[in-house]
Amino acid sequence: MHELSLALEVIRIAGNEADKIMAKSVQEIDIEVGDLSGVEADAFKSALELLSKDSVLGEARINIIRSAGKGRCKSCDHEFEMNSLMATCPKCNSFPSEINGGREFRVLSLVIE
Amino acid sequence: MCETCGCGKPGEFKVHDPSHSNNHEHKHDHDFEHTHDHEHEHWHDHNLPHDHEHNHKHDPDNSEKRVIDVNIDVLAENNNLAKLNRRFFEGRKVLCLNLVSSPGSGKTTILEKTIIAMKDALKMFVIEGDQQTLLDARRIEKAGAPAIQINTGTGCHLDARMVESALEKMDIEANSILFIENVGNLVCPAMFDLGEHKRVVVISVTEGDDKPMKYPYMFQSSHLCIINKSDLLPWVDFNTEETIRSAHSLNPALEFITLSAKTGEGMDLWFKWLKKQAEFKISPPKV
Repeated sequence: MHELSLALEVIRIAGNEADKIMAKSVQEIDIEVGDLSGVEADAFKSALELLSKDSVLGEARINIIRSAGKGRCKSCDHEFEMNSLMATCPKCNSFPSEINGGREFRVLSLVIE
Repeated sequence: MCETCGCGKPGEFKVHDPSHSNNHEHKHDHDFEHTHDHEHEHWHDHNLPHDHEHNHKHDPDNSEKRVIDVNIDVLAENNNLAKLNRRFFEGRKVLCLNLVSSPGSGKTTILEKTIIAMKDALKMFVIEGDQQTLLDARRIEKAGAPAIQINTGTGCHLDARMVESALEKMDIEANSILFIENVGNLVCPAMFDLGEHKRVVVISVTEGDDKPMKYPYMFQSSHLCIINKSDLLPWVDFNTEETIRSAHSLNPALEFITLSAKTGEGMDLWFKWLKKQAEFKISPPKV
């Protein structure tokens, strides 16, 4: 459950950003979770909801924005949506592929008041 | 929250030097029944420092909602600390290896046997990570290397901050090897750079040859895979070739060593690998 410590880190980042502009409260937070990031998005969201109760994110709506995994086959250059790290190229059936997307795990923005 | 038993909020951890355990306030045996919830003062700084200044103008009556772009990688702070750890190691010419595996794969036994066999040739230090107990650090010290134990409490992995705290308690000599034995877990430690130079994933033949497919992030991020308990191969259905094949589909550069820490079979290959890494780190080849 590394999602718990990742949730704590998100609360820390949000707290820092809210402090910087002396925000009264955070209304919403957008977090991008790539499908190949190694973060289980549902578990992460639950952990964040649980841990943020008494934090700057206590009242915030948590928006998880998923980004799909993108791969480019190293053999035939075919670009395709990668559902897992083990995915083989759907065109030539070879591996490995270069991962061009889906690793993201970042706090995108806050809506503050 | 109890500093002794580790029960507490996620993210709290403790660092123990077992060789100085007499100085510890909490030397009492653990009572599994205790349910006290008094608070001890924690020495560690839980929140990472943020010391930006609040010197900009702010209109307190302006309560309009607005969107602020943040765009910060959640792991950025850990990665920065890991970078600092790595710089510290490089300054001292210390080779740092992060050992990861599921519980019971034999990481500690491999380290014990390595320390016993190599302590005359190499200086070695160990940071042990477990949720609870000083058991592993004591085993390492008995084998003959200084060890620091990090207890992660409820945490399932080590992170760069914990390693940094452990380093403050260790006097790591220059030209040495630091082994970090991570918490037994093939999932969570994969995401956290500790500042190591190489990641070594250990699997044992009793675990099954499907480990790389089940835990791809760990195998993708490792440099060496040790297949341990090779003495049990005749009695288990473990296909070494299949393990290597599936791991290489994730990470074609992954090296493999099959060994038995118990019988010593194959340990010479591991020692050779270690010496090669250490030579490179400790005295880089002249160009």
